[in-house]
Amino acid sequence: MAADALSNAITELEEEQVVALVRERLENGVAPLEIVNALQEGMVEVGKRFESGAYFLSELIMGGEIMKDAMTVLEPRLTGASGDYKGNIVIGTVKGDIHDLGKDIVVMLLKGSGYNVIDLGVDVPKEKFVEALKESQAPLVGMSVLLTGCQAAMKEAIDAIRAEGIDAKVLIGGNYIDEVVMDFVGADFFAKDASDGLKVAEKVFS
Amino acid sequence: MSNKEQLYQERLNRYMTAMDCGKPDKVPVCFGIGEWAIKYTDYTFQEVFYDSEKANRIVEDMLPDFDVDIFSGGPTLWWPPMFDVMGSKLYKFPGIGLEEDNTFQYNEEEYMKAEDYDDFIANPTEWLVKNFLPRISAEFAEPGSYRATIALIKSSAAFAMFGAAAGAAAQRWAVEYGMVGQFTGFTKAPFDTLGDALRAMKGILTDLRRRPDKVLAACEAIVPHNIYGGIAGPGADTRFPCFAPLHRGAYPFLNPEQWDKFYWPTLKAVIEGLWAKGKRMFFFAEGNWTPYLEKIAELPEKSIVFDIDTTDAKKAREILGGKFCLQGGIPTTLLTYGTPEKVKEHVKRTIDELAGDGGFILAPGGVLMGDAKKENILAAIEAAREYGVY
Repeated sequence: MAADALSNAITELEEEQVVALVRERLENGVAPLEIVNALQEGMVEVGKRFESGAYFLSELIMGGEIMKDAMTVLEPRLTGASGDYKGNIVIGTVKGDIHDLGKDIVVMLLKGSGYNVIDLGVDVPKEKFVEALKESQAPLVGMSVLLTGCQAAMKEAIDAIRAEGIDAKVLIGGNYIDEVVMDFVGADFFAKDASDGLKVAEKVFS
Repeated sequence: MSNKEQLYQERLNRYMTAMDCGKPDKVPVCFGIGEWAIKYTDYTFQEVFYDSEKANRIVEDMLPDFDVDIFSGGPTLWWPPMFDVMGSKLYKFPGIGLEEDNTFQYNEEEYMKAEDYDDFIANPTEWLVKNFLPRISAEFAEPGSYRATIALIKSSAAFAMFGAAAGAAAQRWAVEYGMVGQFTGFTKAPFDTLGDALRAMKGILTDLRRRPDKVLAACEAIVPHNIYGGIAGPGADTRFPCFAPLHRGAYPFLNPEQWDKFYWPTLKAVIEGLWAKGKRMFFFAEGNWTPYLEKIAELPEKSIVFDIDTTDAKKAREILGGKFCLQGGIPTTLLTYGTPEKVKEHVKRTIDELAGDGGFILAPGGVLMGDAKKENILAAIEAAREYGVY
């Protein structure tokens, strides 16, 4: 368990306590970046609990909402503070599919673990994946799909990336994703859940 | 009795026997002619969604060679004009907000706000008409206005036209092809009514901590409506089950205490309420429900048909088998990425493992979308007939 009171509060999903502690620390002149780090530490523990099965989606989403609300207070005060990222990751839900839950959970865990995540949103055309990869030089791109009918769009996006000669690794995820789908679309990795995705990122960036 | 009438009776008997956990002459097999069939025609998704004659033509071209006992329907769920005339924000349909060869999508938003709970609980119907409908419908923004009234009339007319056309098609398929339909009526778990359409995913999941008592009271207020919804409709039929797509009860949305407290009691009340009227539920357990099988086993015997999507099939048979009819067994991805040979092998194995002494219907576990292949579906049906004789 995290030692800091604020980290603990967010890990235990104690919303009112988080709000009070953030306010108190700001009033006492604690650097906003330090507060964000404490929150992030707590969120990493939330992610670990989700991974181990102690927390479910309801708890993961609650943690994310508490974090988001705290960030709306903290973000405007963070100007100038530079983050120390492990690297860039591009992510998006493929064209034709507007489901964001799985993608958002992965984004949350990746950000919590210190990656700079370029989130392209949902219904992302292949050109946008290519453009974002060229711009960011990210070595890893995550593609999410729930609807099996949109898996062909995933293949097209991966084909487009390969055709451009971009050598980023491709990680795919979604409820109906397995090895067969990975081979069909030509991805490098597949993830059955968000923590699998995190492990792939660790491997790619190690 | 004509050949087709006889065929209809044979298939109906198989379905009814299996739902009562009995052993029919053959393992009943259930498929529809879904979105996957569109790619074998010259039609776009948009044409098929908007022109029900085209949708019906696709079905009728294929039905003569489609030897299933239970038919789960054609390629479209609804006729989009009934939403379009209301200026509905709920869905994106092919060709409108999406490409013409895409399936429809649901626009999830918090159409009900946290502060609406008390009014909703006091009178759900009144709240829906006065608040929900104006929020989701651009043309119904001012209830009582001329514009809103016209939109409501048009939408109701479209709904009635769609219902009549669908009913007539089902009747024709029964008479001409001996096809038995899968459902009559529609309902949901109260928690899903609240979570899917009203509070949305993040809303409902955070409400569990922020306002748990309101969630419970709202689910309880929905129970009688969802019992009524399952049995309402032409003839109040009780032979066929009502369709219940179940969502947030799948693993791992809710933790076990939340599932026990918020999801299950009111879904159970709906199932028991329907069963008291002789109506069964098709428990469409999309996703994985393995951790909850023991709880589900507490329902009145035969009150549901349990669908196996990614739930552990062996555990489902062990815990629910004999008490409820089980349906499923064919993974949707196999029907897309498999080959006819692999599909046949799988069907044989599934029948060996799950068909046992009856109470089993062979079917795809989840929704078959546009990616499924016709040759694999036909191979599954063929294998079902080859290996599915008791």
